Amino acid sequence: MIRPTSEQKTQWEQEGYLVFENAIQGDQLKRLQSVFDYWAAECKEEWLDKVEGGEAAATFYDIPSPLEKDPIFIDLIDHPSYYGALMEFTDDDLILLGPQVRTVAPWPVSYTGWHPDVGQSNPLHIKVQIYVNDVPTGSGEFGFVPRSHKPNSGPYKRPLLQESMPGYKTFPGKAGTAIMFNSCGWHTSMDNASDVPRKSIILIYEKRTPGRIGPEQFAAISEYCTTPERRKLFSLAD
Amino acid sequence: MPSIDAHVHVFTKVSPEFPREITSICPAEREEPAEKLLDEMEKHQIDQAVLVQIGGTSIEHHSYLLHCLKSYPDRFLGIGLVPLDHPQPAEHMAELADGTGIIGFRLFELGGPRDIFATTDVREFKTYPIWECAAEKDYVLWLYPRSIDAHLLPYLVQAFPQVRVVLNHLGMTPGKGKFTLDELGRPQIQVSGYNLNMHTTYRMARFENVTVHLSGQYAFSRETYPYKNLAGWHGNLLNDFGIKRLMWATDFPWILEEPGYGELTTIIEKLLPNLSESELVDIMGGNAKRFLRFPNRT
Repeated sequence: MIRPTSEQKTQWEQEGYLVFENAIQGDQLKRLQSVFDYWAAECKEEWLDKVEGGEAAATFYDIPSPLEKDPIFIDLIDHPSYYGALMEFTDDDLILLGPQVRTVAPWPVSYTGWHPDVGQSNPLHIKVQIYVNDVPTGSGEFGFVPRSHKPNSGPYKRPLLQESMPGYKTFPGKAGTAIMFNSCGWHTSMDNASDVPRKSIILIYEKRTPGRIGPEQFAAISEYCTTPERRKLFSLAD
Repeated sequence: MPSIDAHVHVFTKVSPEFPREITSICPAEREEPAEKLLDEMEKHQIDQAVLVQIGGTSIEHHSYLLHCLKSYPDRFLGIGLVPLDHPQPAEHMAELADGTGIIGFRLFELGGPRDIFATTDVREFKTYPIWECAAEKDYVLWLYPRSIDAHLLPYLVQAFPQVRVVLNHLGMTPGKGKFTLDELGRPQIQVSGYNLNMHTTYRMARFENVTVHLSGQYAFSRETYPYKNLAGWHGNLLNDFGIKRLMWATDFPWILEEPGYGELTTIIEKLLPNLSESELVDIMGGNAKRFLRFPNRT
């Protein structure tokens, strides 16, 4: 397990984010892209039916139950590129809440405004966003307000224009880049003025609290979780 | 500043003078006339209202709406309907609106591709000629789009920044098959717990010509008045659209029996308790007067 450097630990504490370039690369990245595209296409009609029924938003969609669709998604959860950092920051007591394997359409407006996911009273809540395709500036790249995860920061208010948020930083990146951030911090997806959908995977973790995730949550992939570490990460029974 | 109820419906029994379509929500014998609305408005110090056409899209179907606008020109403005398949929508719109008090038209569909990834040229949207006419004649567009159409909105709003747009009923976009009538004959719209419109209609806040009704709570909430579970939606709309782009409405007559017209006149202060007096005045009528250009009462 690769633990974060002291510089990375300082940045995490001070700024609330870390970037892992080439976190996924080579054949693994190619296979991830191929699997992502296959399942995104397979699931699209079902999503559109849900949009029509008012059960899904029209501006983006997630592949349902991705961990059950291909083990490559499971391998991302404890990927060595960033797993050591996740463990370090949660005192080796990490649980997975869930993945979002997400395709975001180009649209005149970003599909989401600036927001934090949780409040300060929540146990440490971490997200890792992995770009599956290249995400250059202006194509729905991740945006984060450094230091906004700190209790004494702000107050912040969601502005009308994404680029009106004070102190924000954007994270364009190549396919395979992983961005880890403290979800207490204000973040968003910037506008996508390109004609290319943004494909990314958002992994959601938390520092363990009793009963947060039951053993049934990820029982369907139990066969892929043979080590004690993985079973703990997926809240599976020993 | 007047208090203005920015979205109500009035109709009479079906008659040769006032023909209309018969539906489950408006059976032939039911009538909710303008005078009944005016009684409620008087009782609760509401000065003016927007009458929204119900009962059909043809010119004849608008007879009662036109009659009310003519009878009470300083009390009401009107919103008409236009058939989506009309070969000359501009003619239909002009015939209804010229000098009548009808200031705009309501749309339930936007007529573009259902798949956001397939969205191409906005000029190919079926409602494009309606928007074009609205831009030319300065009509307001009153929108209650289906959820499958929600992604089409910014393309039209971008193409026609001069068109004043009012998103009805909290900016909600009902899903197919999610509309029913409850035991009181009121519309009920089944919605998911997570407000999906945060990712569609709420994002329209960026466009200054887009406003939102704070109305229809009874149809979306599973709670009783004052529908406290919708306070968060109201707060988000206030944050995103700001105080000057929100308009209170009752959706008369569906709320008459439950919770009652009077109750609805205090719902905003219950769901947005931190508003100042002047902010409340804006939402309760000031914004509607300015945005819809209501005449002064004589």
